[in-house]
Amino acid sequence: MKRETVLVAMSGGVDSSVAAALLVEQGHAVIGVTMKTFCYSGTPAPSRTCCGLEGIADARRVADRLGIPHYVFDMESAFTRDVVTDFVEEYAAGRTPNPCVRCNSNTKIPDLLRRGLAFGAETIATGHYARIRRERDGVRLLRGRDPAKDQSYFLWGVPAPVAERLRFPVGELTKPEVRDLARKLGLSTAEKPESQEICFVPDGDYAGFLAGRLGVDHAALRPGRIVRSDGTDVGAHDGFARYTVGQRRRLGGGFAEPLYVLEIRPSTREVVVGAQAELAADAVEVGELNWMSAPPAEGEAVHLQYRYRTPAAPARVEALDREAIRLRFDAPQRAVTPGQSGVVYRGDEMVGGGRIRRSGRLAGEPVSSASPQKSRIGG
Amino acid sequence: MNAIYLDHAATTPLRAEVREAMIPLLDGRFGNPSSSHRFGREARAALEEARERAADALGASRHEIVFTCAGTEADNLAVLGRWRARGDGPVVCSAVEHKAVLKAAARAHAEGAPLIVLGVDGEGRVDPAALDDVLRGGPSVVSVLWGNNEVGTLQPVQEIAERCTGAGVIFHSDAVQAFGKVRVRVDETPCDLLSLSAHKFGGPKGIGLLFVRDGVALEPLSHGGGQEHGLRPGTESVAMAAGLATAIEIAAAAQESECSRLGALRDRLERALVLAVPGLVVNAGGAPRLPHILNVSIPAVDQEALLVALDLEGVAVSVASACQSGAAEPSHVLTAMGRILEHGAAIRLSVGWTSTESEIDHAAAVIPAIAGRVGART
Repeated sequence: MKRETVLVAMSGGVDSSVAAALLVEQGHAVIGVTMKTFCYSGTPAPSRTCCGLEGIADARRVADRLGIPHYVFDMESAFTRDVVTDFVEEYAAGRTPNPCVRCNSNTKIPDLLRRGLAFGAETIATGHYARIRRERDGVRLLRGRDPAKDQSYFLWGVPAPVAERLRFPVGELTKPEVRDLARKLGLSTAEKPESQEICFVPDGDYAGFLAGRLGVDHAALRPGRIVRSDGTDVGAHDGFARYTVGQRRRLGGGFAEPLYVLEIRPSTREVVVGAQAELAADAVEVGELNWMSAPPAEGEAVHLQYRYRTPAAPARVEALDREAIRLRFDAPQRAVTPGQSGVVYRGDEMVGGGRIRRSGRLAGEPVSSASPQKSRIGG
Repeated sequence: MNAIYLDHAATTPLRAEVREAMIPLLDGRFGNPSSSHRFGREARAALEEARERAADALGASRHEIVFTCAGTEADNLAVLGRWRARGDGPVVCSAVEHKAVLKAAARAHAEGAPLIVLGVDGEGRVDPAALDDVLRGGPSVVSVLWGNNEVGTLQPVQEIAERCTGAGVIFHSDAVQAFGKVRVRVDETPCDLLSLSAHKFGGPKGIGLLFVRDGVALEPLSHGGGQEHGLRPGTESVAMAAGLATAIEIAAAAQESECSRLGALRDRLERALVLAVPGLVVNAGGAPRLPHILNVSIPAVDQEALLVALDLEGVAVSVASACQSGAAEPSHVLTAMGRILEHGAAIRLSVGWTSTESEIDHAAAVIPAIAGRVGART
């Protein structure tokens, strides 16, 4: 294998620790970097998530153990601009964003690559469970070998030219194998638990975070009505930002059948609810597209993954242009949530994706003209 | 060439003579200076001898020297200890103090002290005339550092000290960077409190001192036995004190020659960088400076990338004081001077007792090349 100078993004978690260790073992010149993405000095309880100060200290310990240099890059302003602001705006607009996607695509990977080139690092490695396969006409990004940990879903926004410079050393391993390796190598992060929450909302209290950013009086956090899809008023809610499509909690009780959130209408602050059957979507429209390899053709049978923990659903490409794609599911899907990532797969290959604009019983018009909002990609 | 250390303002290598002075105290004379038996007496003798030597090097009396664990502790004891002893009157310090003074002053402020921060000019200097108004307010302590640790600016300490003394106000100076580089003597400058740290002049880390002029009341920060006149209780580290004493003697004796030698090395580096790096600005270049510190701003270069690239090439420099996480933050010193660049790097290069001309020439060749490469990419 060619010896490369690799910049490895070390969060302080076990996956990126092992990624760094594997690269060292392969004989590469490895430089560890931890990104300081969010300032925790304002949070009352010190963060225990991977991006906090503890994460930085853990990453340093691992780098010391591996005998590689380690640096901390302050990416707070770019992270706030590209990730946090978007997160807040999406919730305010009644959608449910994937901030980790935004972080990977806009901040973490391209920024590291740009900085790395400045000191001679040609490639970037992360601890993602995904694989890169080099082919004559470019690279393919594949699902990680461990189906329980595959993270290719979070990588759809990475620009294709950047992907050529990416390395995912743990993509061929399963999580238990990664932990075993970490133990064998004596890495201090071997037993570290998975980070579950979004790094900048370590306590999981999104509503509190949004209130801090938007103000408690913002429309998304003010009380509003809960209605059925036929307009029947069934109760009150305490801010639509607390709801996401498919959610059952916080709707009160006493209904003849379980009710689920079907839709959020920011203009009227209504949360529309209905029976489980009403959650079903025949089709989905995905905007802000980014293609890792050749986009699918109209009529092509692919799989669409519309949620991280939901298996990809068979679907057929119905309409496609530069801005958006509409897919029709082979069988109706439940809770296809606007704002989440819609990621297209051909088998194990992650072809590309975008953000879900809307879903339901979409008619067969061309996609872009029908889109309710302008694409904000690159914005 | 091996790695080049241009970060002597952060810390310096231990001098061999210092190490030699410490070993017998680590190995054999292990006693507790507070014990009355022979082991204790031996240790106490060594400790008091170290105190005397340190006092002599500073022009102080033996009983005016309080050993602390570091410069930071000395600064805290001076500022916070002074405020707590006095209990009223503003705490006054400059905007370009070391964080140890700034944070101690902020703590005093949180405890009720009015806080007055003296601004500086574009070179980082305090205007002594601006003190007169402040002194009429009866400060509990005025703290102005002797020479700045980031940009090297020398403050008009003599004049400030005289104005304070004239007004009957207690004056503290952090001389951690200045000692051994410029003449620092408390029998020539009428300061009441003065902080030093051994590892900045070839001594060990983990020991510093506070000069406390006879009659100046301080409140200790921690409580326990009566060691160090009750101002710094805890069993004394005799070996460290001996190390400090040896280092301080060497530094005081060599001060004049080191000042000119280090100044020449610094100026050589400065000239080369000014010529070779487009747009480079020497911060505080218009003020009298400590001879070992060079702080430069380079426009349109990513600071973090530059630091990493230099480290990977084996050139060790530093940027603004590292924050808790290690990511670079805008320097409060450059901010106070109005010298923060929107897009650019500010790095500090500092020479010391091990620096050589060939190291300087190598650095002078490497730095412009790396700055050019990083600048083109960022």
